[in-house]
Amino acid sequence: MLDRRELLRRGMLAAGAAAMPQMLAAQGKPVADWTLGLTDVAGDIAPRPLTRLHGRAPGLSGTLYRNGPARFRRGASSVSHWFDGDGLMRAWRIAESEASLAARFVDTPKRRIEERLGAIVQPGFGTPARPGSELGGPDDANAANTHVIAAGGQLLALWEAGSPFALDPETLATRGPVTFRSDLAQMPFLAHPRIEPSGRIWNIGSGGDHAFIWRLSADGRFEAGETIRLPMASYMHDFAATQRHLVILCQPWVQTSPSVPYIQSLAWQPERGSRVLVIDKDDLSRRREYELPPLFFFHLGDAWEEADGTIRFDGCFHKDPLFAVRGAAALLEGRREHSEMPALTLVTLRPDGRADLAAAGITAEFPRAAPEIAGLPRSKTVFVGDYSNDRPFARAVGIWDWDKSSADRFDFGPRQLVEEFVPAGDHLIGTTLNLAAGASELHVFDARRIADGPVASWRSDVALPLSFHGSWMARASS
Amino acid sequence: MTFRLVTPFLLAAAALPLGGCAISINDPGAPSPSVARAAAATLTVRFEGIETPKGQIMLSVFDNAPAHDQNGAPVRVAAVPVEGTSALANFEGLAPGDYAVKAFHDVDGDSKMGTNPFGMPLEPYAFSNNAKAQGAPPRWEATRFPVAAGANTIRITIK
Repeated sequence: MLDRRELLRRGMLAAGAAAMPQMLAAQGKPVADWTLGLTDVAGDIAPRPLTRLHGRAPGLSGTLYRNGPARFRRGASSVSHWFDGDGLMRAWRIAESEASLAARFVDTPKRRIEERLGAIVQPGFGTPARPGSELGGPDDANAANTHVIAAGGQLLALWEAGSPFALDPETLATRGPVTFRSDLAQMPFLAHPRIEPSGRIWNIGSGGDHAFIWRLSADGRFEAGETIRLPMASYMHDFAATQRHLVILCQPWVQTSPSVPYIQSLAWQPERGSRVLVIDKDDLSRRREYELPPLFFFHLGDAWEEADGTIRFDGCFHKDPLFAVRGAAALLEGRREHSEMPALTLVTLRPDGRADLAAAGITAEFPRAAPEIAGLPRSKTVFVGDYSNDRPFARAVGIWDWDKSSADRFDFGPRQLVEEFVPAGDHLIGTTLNLAAGASELHVFDARRIADGPVASWRSDVALPLSFHGSWMARASS
Repeated sequence: MTFRLVTPFLLAAAALPLGGCAISINDPGAPSPSVARAAAATLTVRFEGIETPKGQIMLSVFDNAPAHDQNGAPVRVAAVPVEGTSALANFEGLAPGDYAVKAFHDVDGDSKMGTNPFGMPLEPYAFSNNAKAQGAPPRWEATRFPVAAGANTIRITIK
């Protein structure tokens, strides 16, 4: 029998079309209620008002843009991994007590090819290429499904192995892939750029044991780019930054071959431990490295620096990449294969070269912090959590305070799947999928009193699959 | 700064060989004129659908699977100017048999396939039979076409 590590080494995945929840039902197996979080959206969602459930959102006016995969299956075919569905851009608009929802799919080459064929054929993170696929470059596989930021008057729908796709912020119409400079077309661009309070954007393009460091202006124009060498060819989904440094955590899930799908090119090599590369933003050749135990992660919080040079950042850490390899694939089949939960953990990089980890003692994912203090000292991390054994998704939202070692949290209960919440001034804004109502909901919290529950909630008339990440864009006051 | 990554990323990794399509115009793969005159077939390759009306089309012609699939030497190479939306390449003195063409549009005229820093090809490229790349250049089986004694013409859309 293969041991856990051997499974990971082989990047074991269901290679063919994933069985669908309906198929499980046809076999007489019960369909878990959470599978609604991976439901398919047939087409764009026309603008529609939301029903206000309770409360008001005083002084809050703007749009919560959220992105996430929403088309996983076509005909008898299915993507093989949660991360490979077509990106659906959602606009949750709030004007005081009124709110509305509109959503449009990002119009990518992948989506066009698969619409034409009526089948899932394009390869991705965990989905193999199938007959009929066309892959002239990374953007042909670009699902544009992971995050959204605004820059230069447009939205950028982000994936991680190819270009951002520009969208009209009002109509959500796709303008096309963004080429920041002609010789940088089709370069990877992570879904988690780090944005300074000034608006300047830093990002990484991950390429094996090299990374391209992107620096963009606040309006999304190319300022500088440089390729650097990494300590190892780690899978990279996120990184962190202080005011002065880029902080790049390299996990021992490393690329060992150029396989497609990507996940099969990676091997778990815990004996190598993890490394943190710290680079001076002003001179990328000035770098230092720290060692950490082996860990796996998708998401990090913002980093900050203290007077003596100590750097801290938090992250949501797993013991290994089993969820990425098997868990997230099984979800599409309505199965929960992997129950290890992400642990909120603080990383401290000390001036003497030592580095250590301190666990908060809570399960948490989708860490966010106030954008106004990105890269600056902070104690609070917004998270979703209370992961439990009955479901693969979060049921609570909270703010963890590293100074107090406690969380102010609100539990939505067992019939709500909780998506990422983002800070918006004195509020937190985010969405849930209400399983009892069969509908997606929008919620606003007073960030100082999370446990009191949302100060305002609205319900839509559609059930959207769970989204990944988003950004709050306050409407400029006139 | 230019270099070729040893372990390039995701899909670029698989597509990378396109960047080194063995379309080097200085490749000494072409047979000598005397051999050429002894054979009986001619091949015209018509490139169509060109979107940028400048530069040149650089192409390599292969006559066997190992050379085609493993970045081996082409049997012929050519560089032909782009005229409007099309370009013509003519080869004479080919032995009848199966052939395949790999081509790219050298838009900037530097005789090299333009790539991004990670080696991804950035100028238009195409293959005989209009075979599509699927994470890697198409194989001989998808690009091969017959050349009979006498005149032969194929069309390739390159954009």
